Parts: sequence; structure tokens; C-alpha cells
Amino acid sequence: MPVPTDVSSETPEPPRKRQRTLYEASTQYRNWRFSTAQLSRIRASLNEAAVAAIRNTFEADLPGSSSDISFLNADEECLLVKLYATKIPQLCAHFGFPEEVEATAISYLKRFYLKNTVMDWHPKNVMLTALFLAAKTSNQPIPIDAYTSRIPKTSPSDVLDLEFLVAQSLGFEFTIWHSYRALWGIWLDIQSLPDHPKDSIAEIYNTAKSHARAARLTDAELIYTPSQIALAAFSLASPNLAALWAHAKSSDSVLQVIEPIKQMILQDSRTPDVEAVRNVDRRLKLCKNPEKVVGSRVYLAKKAEEEKVAAAKRAKKAEEIRKTMEENDPFGEHIADKKKLDDAVNRALEDDD
Amino acid sequence: MDAVEKANYERQKQWAKEKKVGEGTYAVVYQGREAKTGRKVAIKKIKVGAMKDGLDMSAIREVKFLRELQHQNVIALLDVFSSKTNLNLVLEWLETDLEMIIKDRSLVFLPADIKSWIAMCLRGLEFCHRNSILHRDLKPNNLLIAADGQLKIADFGLARDFADPGYKMTCQVITRWYRPPELLFGCRYYSTAVDMWSVGCIFAELMLRIPYLPGESDMDQLKTIFRALGTPTEEEWPGHTKLPDYVPVGQFPKHPMRDLFTAATADCLNLLAKFFIYEPRKRISAKDALSHPYFFALPNPTHPSKLPRISAQSTRTLEEVDGNVDLDSPGPAVKAPPPVPNRLKRKLSSVSESEDGSYARRLDFKKTDRTKT
Repeated sequence: MPVPTDVSSETPEPPRKRQRTLYEASTQYRNWRFSTAQLSRIRASLNEAAVAAIRNTFEADLPGSSSDISFLNADEECLLVKLYATKIPQLCAHFGFPEEVEATAISYLKRFYLKNTVMDWHPKNVMLTALFLAAKTSNQPIPIDAYTSRIPKTSPSDVLDLEFLVAQSLGFEFTIWHSYRALWGIWLDIQSLPDHPKDSIAEIYNTAKSHARAARLTDAELIYTPSQIALAAFSLASPNLAALWAHAKSSDSVLQVIEPIKQMILQDSRTPDVEAVRNVDRRLKLCKNPEKVVGSRVYLAKKAEEEKVAAAKRAKKAEEIRKTMEENDPFGEHIADKKKLDDAVNRALEDDD
Repeated sequence: MDAVEKANYERQKQWAKEKKVGEGTYAVVYQGREAKTGRKVAIKKIKVGAMKDGLDMSAIREVKFLRELQHQNVIALLDVFSSKTNLNLVLEWLETDLEMIIKDRSLVFLPADIKSWIAMCLRGLEFCHRNSILHRDLKPNNLLIAADGQLKIADFGLARDFADPGYKMTCQVITRWYRPPELLFGCRYYSTAVDMWSVGCIFAELMLRIPYLPGESDMDQLKTIFRALGTPTEEEWPGHTKLPDYVPVGQFPKHPMRDLFTAATADCLNLLAKFFIYEPRKRISAKDALSHPYFFALPNPTHPSKLPRISAQSTRTLEEVDGNVDLDSPGPAVKAPPPVPNRLKRKLSSVSESEDGSYARRLDFKKTDRTKT
């Protein structure tokens, strides 16, 4: 796989006469790549909007009630998401899912929180749904009962209720290009280099794989291409071989691009400190959006309001249909069979969304 | 309203459903329009609420692949949005499908027309294969035809990425008449060659105007294949007797293809035979098929806009027909034979097992009067 070197820089590349690579046609390339600065901007503004909205909801319910609440900031949100990302490999081992499912689920979880905030949707549930969905999109579907019965304190609706929201947040873009696959390609390439070390190579590959796995807990995949991350992982395992490979591909310059990725893998891939996360989670209980807490007063009020709007819409539509039908009926008011008309109206409404 | 909900609402507003044009068990197809431009679209509404296991596998596959694939000969997924608990796929509007065209007995196919359809089918398929995607349900009914005559591969409800080496796939894919013998023998490791067999069947069907290998059951399908193409020998297809579901179905001699495809040129027969090579690894790929001499020999493929179409009764002037045939006149153009009784009734959908053994529910979207306009 060719390794574009211009991906992380924000300066546009000079126009080149070449065919677009398959990766460049992917939704990942088109819609899910950001600069570090863009990522922090997105997260900060999501957080800000969420805090404002939740504060409003609290105030509307009971004025003054939001003043002593300490909302989460964007970094704290990230910390919580990261903790739940570390749970995915454990669950995958539990279910015997292949690496593709694991990597896909983690990507889904990260992408989800570029569109949503943990104060609305707790990552525990989103993580379970992301994994369930990833199993399906990676050709390893599992019946919902078989899934939830093996996870403590989880019901099918905990997973299914969020599935649509998760799919929507992903923009229905389910295909993920993974760095572990690119790494496999690099490993195959390296074995065909004339002067590669024959004995230690399997061990190097295993070390590189663990670095690629560690990279999943970082933002790397949202910033760099899978092949860049793969080469960084390989370079952490064996800088010499990585350089040899880059040279063989006449792409020495890529070695500079992967330096920040290597840093990122080493620094950002640690599992968050449990005590710190527990503290965040405790505060989250107080500051989460009451509209999303099933059964709460605010939740019920919102549902009732939605139902009212929907009912009004249905009634209006039913009236319209009835009117048209009566107008079209040559016998107008003499309709004997009122039930028939009602049925027709209901049928028409069923088709409606 | 959440940002995600809001974005969805914005998308939903861009598309207006107009009328229902088809209904299957899991989906309803509407004719609709893009609000801004008035462009005609098809909106496929998938009822998700009814699914026990959440989003349906066919819907997931279809969305997953169509989101990535952008090619002139693959149906375009314009947008996806939700309404309540329904998933809505906005697809480009396509007038008809190749099955309707093949069955329309008033249409006459020239060799150049067949070449054009097969070339477009191969181009679309080569693109799928280049993107590591197997279609796994190619048949005339899934090759839709746009108003400008372009052929578009549709229905990715059974598609999947190539499996990694060592991962099993289900063999219960591809509608029976278009299914290759390795799948009928229960092969669980396979690749692009399965789609190529289907292309061969479609190619043959375009020439014959009836399905080439219409088996009545899976067992009969093997017999039908071997009756037509001869029972494979061990030399021709090494190891096939070791496949999981192998059963001997009798020895049938090989007949020269020319006996049946009387009007075909030598190039044409040569390519056709390559789609039907028993050994999957030797079967021609989409890429190689596109550089086959058949496509470089006269007659040149008909321009898509000039292909036979259903609504237009006689758009083609006699002159054009004559000129076209004159270029390379291997025989008379093919007219559809009279309909064959029940035995050849087309099964529109196939129920098939997915990788985990559960049933992947097929969405059949095109079977009603979607094609009427």
C-alpha cells in the first residue's frame, strides 16, 4: 500500500497527475480524518454545547438547580471513552471475536464521540452497542440474546435502543480501514526484502502488532492513514527494518511523518487511571442529561411533548386524507360504510413516517 | 434536539417520497424526488423496528458497501436517513432491469447490444472486486438499467469483503441458476470466481433469451450444469471430489458450445467458455475478461443510449440495425423465444444462510412495478 506523506499536514498538496488510490475513495479518507487542532475544536464545542443544553434543561425543570453542578470538560469525556475502549478487547476475547470486530468496534466508539457527548450517552452502553454493530458489519453477527446473556446486567434493549443512534452518528459509514491489515502487508513486504533478518522477524512482527493495538487507544486513526500507523508500529518494534522498508519503497520521507505517531503510541495508549475515571464517572451521574435518563421527570415530560406533536401531525394527515377521499367520492356524504373509510385512512397512515 | 438528530432531520427534508412502487417483507420502495432539484430517486424504506436482532444484515451490507462504491456501473446510494424506526436508503432512480429487457419479446438484441451490456456489467464488477468486495448475487434481475442506458449493479444485500485466508464463508449464496459448481459442492473458501460464473450465465442468457442453466433444485442444478458443459474430470478441476458436499451426479459428455450458441462468433464463444471454467482459480477474472479480444473485435459495443429499451417501441431505425449487423454478421439477431411454462419461473429472491448459520433475510425490492415508468 502506498504511503501518502501529506495527510497530516494542513497545507494542500500540489496537484498531481495520478489516479486516486482506493483508500482515497473511502469514506474514512473523505470524512473521518482530522488534524489534532480540529479534533480538539470539535470536542470542545461538542462539550460546550452539551453543557449549555443540559444546564438549560435543569433550569427549566427547577430554576437554580444547575448552579452547583460540576460538568465534565472535553478531556474528562475523552478519558471515560478511552476507559471503555479498553473494555472492548476483553469482551472480544470473551466472545471469541476476530481482530477485525475488535478494531472496528473501537473505531465506532471513537467516531461516535466526535458527534455526541458522554453526558448524553454513557460510553458503557455505547460501547456495547458499538461492539454488537461491529460484529454485524464485520460478518460475525451474533443473535442479540446470545450477546446480552453473556454480559452481566445487560438487556437486549440496552443494546438495541442505541443501535440506530450509533449507526446514524457514524453516518452509516461502516467500513473501517485498519492499521493491523496494513501492518500485515508491511510484514509480507519485508520478508521479500533481500537482506531482512530471518530469525527475529516473527518476534518483531508480534511486537509491532501490539503497538498497532496500542495505537487504537489513541487518536492516531483519526489523524493518520492506516499504513502510516502500521509503519510507526513497525518502527517501534524495529526502526532499522522500518527504514529498510521505506527505502525499498523509495519513500524515505515517510519516516519523519511517523515520528509523532510513535510518540502518540508511547504516550497516549496507557489505560487511564482507574481512580481518575471513577471520579469522572461519579460526577457524570450528577451532570448527565436528565432528558436521556429513562423514567426521570424531565424525560417523561419530553416524551409526552413528542407524543403530542406526533399525534397532532397524525390527526392533521388523517383529516387531509379523509377530505380528499370524501371529495373524490361521487356519493360524498352518503358513505354508508364509515369503517371502510377509517380503514383506508389507517392504511394510508401506516405508509407514512 | 441532538446534533445527530438535527443532521438527520436536515437530510430527511431533502427527499420527498411520492408514491409506493414496491413492497417486500422487510422494505418498501417509494418513488421520490430530491426537494431542491426535482431529480427522481428511489427511496427504500427498511423497517428496522420489526427486526429482533436490530439492524438487518442485508441492510447493513447494502449500506456498508454502497457507501464506499462510486462507479458508473454500480447503483449510487445518494443518502441514508432515518425516520422513526425506519432506515431509508435514497438510491438513484433506475428505469428497469436486464431481466425485464431479456423477457420483453418485442425487443431484438444485436450482438453489439449484448457486448455492451456485458462490458458494463464487467466494469462494475471489476470495480467491486478491486475494492475487495464479492457481490454474491449477480443475476439479470439485479442489473438495473438507467434512463441513459447505463447498466448498474444493484442489491448488495448478500455482498461481503473478501475473507481473510482461513476464514470460512457461507456457500448458500447466489441465486441457484447463477451459482457456480464449487458452491453447490459446499466450498467454504472462495473468491471472485463465484461472481464470474454468474456473469457467464448472464452472458449466455442474453444470447439465448432464456436462463441457460435453470436447475430445479440444488442437486438438479449440478446435473443441469454438467449436462450443458460436461462432467468435470479430475484433471480439469483437481480436488473437486474432495469438496464437503461432493456427490457424483453422473457422467455427461461435453458438447461444443457452438451447437447451442449458433449465432456467436469465435471470440464470443472463447470468452463465454472462460467464464465456465470449472477450476475456480483458472476461471477468467473481471479484469482479464475486459481485455479479451471479444471486446476489441467488431461490432463495437452499442452505445448505452442506443440499447434496446422497454418503453420505446421502435427507437431504432432500420438503417442502424442493418449497419450494425453488417459489421460482423455471425448470424441473425436474437429474438426472445416464446415463454416457457412454469418450470422456468424465476425465483426472485433467495433465502440464504449467513456466516453464523442464521438466515440472512433477502430484501427483494424490485419485484413489483418499480420498473413501470
